[in-house]
Amino acid sequence: MIPSLPKLVLPGPPEILTVLLDGCIVGGIPSSEVEKVVAHIRRLKVSSPAVIPDDLEVGYVPLSMGGAYPGLYLSTSPSRFVRPVRNISLPSDGSENIELIGPFEQVFMEIKCPDGGDGGRKSSFPATHEEIHPTVMLSVVANLTPWSDHNQSPRNMYQCQMAKQTMAFSSQAIQHRADQKLYHLQTPQSPIVRTGSYSKYDMEDAMILNKSSVERGMFHGQIYQTETIDLTEMGGKSRKSGLTPRMFRRSNVNKFGSALDADGLPHVGQLIRPDEPYCSIYNSERNSVQTLRKKGTEPVYVDYVAVDVKNKKDLQKVNIRFRQPRNPIIGDKFSSRHGQKGVCSQLWPDIDMPFSGTTGMRPDLIINPHAFPSRMTIAMLLESVAAKGGSLHGEFVDATPFRGSVKKNNEESESKSGSLVDDLGDMLRKKGFNYHGLEVLYSGVYGTELTCEIFIGPVYYQRLRHMVSDKYQVRSTGTTDQLTKQPIKGRKRGGGVRFGEMERDSLLAHGAAYLLHDRLHTCSDYHIADVCSICGSLLTTVFIQQQKRPVRQIGGLPPGRAPKKVTCHACQTSKGMEAVAMPYVFRYLATELAAMNIKLTLKLSNQAGA
Amino acid sequence: MEPQSYARMPRVKIRELRDDYARFELRDTDASIANALRRVMIAEVPTIAIDLVEIEVNSSVLNDEFIAHRLGLIPLTSDRAMSMRFSRDCDACDGDGQCEFCSVEFHLMAVCRNDETQDVTSSDLISSDHTVVPVDFSDATIDASSDGISGNKKGGITIVKLRKGQEVKLRAIARKGIGKDHAKWSPAATVTFMYEPEIHINEDLMESLTLEEKKEWVESSPTPVFDIDPVTQQVMVVDAEAYTYDDEVIKKAEAMGKPGLVEINAKQDSFIFTVETTGAIKASQLLLNAIEILKQKLDAVRTSLDTVEADDQFGELGAHMRGG
Repeated sequence: MIPSLPKLVLPGPPEILTVLLDGCIVGGIPSSEVEKVVAHIRRLKVSSPAVIPDDLEVGYVPLSMGGAYPGLYLSTSPSRFVRPVRNISLPSDGSENIELIGPFEQVFMEIKCPDGGDGGRKSSFPATHEEIHPTVMLSVVANLTPWSDHNQSPRNMYQCQMAKQTMAFSSQAIQHRADQKLYHLQTPQSPIVRTGSYSKYDMEDAMILNKSSVERGMFHGQIYQTETIDLTEMGGKSRKSGLTPRMFRRSNVNKFGSALDADGLPHVGQLIRPDEPYCSIYNSERNSVQTLRKKGTEPVYVDYVAVDVKNKKDLQKVNIRFRQPRNPIIGDKFSSRHGQKGVCSQLWPDIDMPFSGTTGMRPDLIINPHAFPSRMTIAMLLESVAAKGGSLHGEFVDATPFRGSVKKNNEESESKSGSLVDDLGDMLRKKGFNYHGLEVLYSGVYGTELTCEIFIGPVYYQRLRHMVSDKYQVRSTGTTDQLTKQPIKGRKRGGGVRFGEMERDSLLAHGAAYLLHDRLHTCSDYHIADVCSICGSLLTTVFIQQQKRPVRQIGGLPPGRAPKKVTCHACQTSKGMEAVAMPYVFRYLATELAAMNIKLTLKLSNQAGA
Repeated sequence: MEPQSYARMPRVKIRELRDDYARFELRDTDASIANALRRVMIAEVPTIAIDLVEIEVNSSVLNDEFIAHRLGLIPLTSDRAMSMRFSRDCDACDGDGQCEFCSVEFHLMAVCRNDETQDVTSSDLISSDHTVVPVDFSDATIDASSDGISGNKKGGITIVKLRKGQEVKLRAIARKGIGKDHAKWSPAATVTFMYEPEIHINEDLMESLTLEEKKEWVESSPTPVFDIDPVTQQVMVVDAEAYTYDDEVIKKAEAMGKPGLVEINAKQDSFIFTVETTGAIKASQLLLNAIEILKQKLDAVRTSLDTVEADDQFGELGAHMRGG
């Protein structure tokens, strides 16, 4: 068969590579020419009078066996990821030759680390580009750790996790925002840190804060929470807006009448305690008033009330923003930037803190030196020394990691001794301080010199959003599970604290049998069951209501309880009935087994060991 | 036999005295007294500070608690504080804390009507008592207009900054209190003391050093304690008090193979105090008040029933405490 059309053979790889611009084929290039073309386009990209967009992505996929489909893919569309690298294949005539490259092209490019080496490249693949700084291999959060190259690497990973949990001054426009929950630090600052065991309150990563420093505003913060009340969404079925019978209004006969305004909304600045109403809604159909009560365990202030006036006629939606003051208390969590987290164990009075004889300084925070040997966060010590020197000289210290790896361009900074510690030590020395950041301190309690030199200096501390007030849980009695009659779980619902297997083991090991019995039985699902000792069944018991007989009154005593008559339904007798204390779940187990046609019988005996 | 008296007569020598700064020597007593004095100065000398704030209008960027906290930290002139009553044991107002004997009322009204940012400072606080006013830090000797750093010409501590249309209106009640309860009542910015060092240079051993070695040794102290006499080339002590007990020179001497080159001891009975106040009271007054309070506290111990009961335990000391 002869085809009606002349044979059209599309020129393709390996001879010709297709060229695509923003996903459309615009032509082809002989594969022998393409490398030159790519190099030329890159030169045009960095050339100062821009002829082509400088964020053009030159995705050149070379010929390969089993690799990506070869071609030259050019992209110019907006909002692509780009990052700057230095183009070193071009002659550097004074300019830096910074080229913006994209994620697609970068995998086919040869980019080297600016550490002076070639990164193990063969001479057949010379690097055409160079990173701006070695730290670009780190993420944004990882870059926040000073001198992270001096830390043990897992600590840097911990810090990267923790940096996301810090409280911060996250927005300038908090007044105009309606975030669900927003943690806010009032005054971000860096306290002076001391390492050294001054009391036993800094064991196991606990830390002592200076009470006066806290009172002066250190680590003060707030939580902003917004409640949205939409009347159109209330009451299940969604009616057309404006037709709901509900409206914001205060009840006329309400004992809390004074707390809310006439429009059923709270006053700005008002304090609302747990379980107090913060909003009142009137239902005109039922002529009833519903109040919304504040959940939680802590009082809050009304920060802002925003009304949604989309439909002008009547107000259907409000946002109420609450503010919860969260100043540091015992149990709050703090961390330095080196994965060294800790919990505040004491707010120590200023006068009891150790002080420096020369400057009179007292630390804001004390941590235990045991936090260092095993974790090897040398950068935290460096940070302390550097910050001390920096604050004495009134300048910032550059703590970028891998600074020593940067290729020395003009060999200018070679005159220095090189070691970082030496640079920092000299800074301190110049101002009359100990070379290694040590100081002699005096006991605040006794006024005598502490027998060891103490490492003291400023370290940036972060306040983490895990606070005791969100976590503490207590219960004496409360709600129990319907099925098992055991306390329910969950802090929100006032449940119990789990007394688990390991806790059980420890009590057993101590021989504290009574306490164990108290925790697991008396305070849990203590139950007295009637058991038929004849058939051994727990489930066949039946109550028989006694006829009301006048109980003989004994003078001065409360009327005696009429004994309940219990019989066994299976044995048709009440002779063998015995009251046995057991966990209620045991009874539940018996019923579950019965449902599976398994009979559970008890053998009752008076002897202890029988 | 006359019971032996343990009483010592401490001496105070003032070296430098300014309104908010004092440096003095305290001799012939021991660390317990020196430290008690330091602790009392920081935490128990009363001052007056804003303690209760009623906010009427606040449309500023800072929330109510923040402003109240900032108001509390403003130092107020507290020369009256010693004679004032604590509001908790004030009879005139039943501990209500709002009468003239135990409180001072302040008013603050500020509205910004301009396009420029307006600073609300402590000088905008209107006091009901002319003796209790925010401390004025404006230094008459420095021309306010030339001082570019502080920025606000009025002087005073910035409470909040207002934009056009924002307003702050509040009533604040200042009360007497002590630094133990809250740091805002502490009159002291810094109180510190150091033991006076006693430095003995072993001259014979020192002479065995070359000039180079001497220089190296002198340089090893981070603070300028020693120097070399340019004429006799002898090492001498220029400023003993600059010594921070860092042991650097001793370590250096050991490293040079000359242990015992210098002997440094802290005198256990003389102290050099440095006192800096917040401006609430004068540094001299702070010291006098602290001594007064320390006396009151000792009196309380002496007259308390427990002390009499504890006589058996303390024995001689108990008699001493009661002035025996």
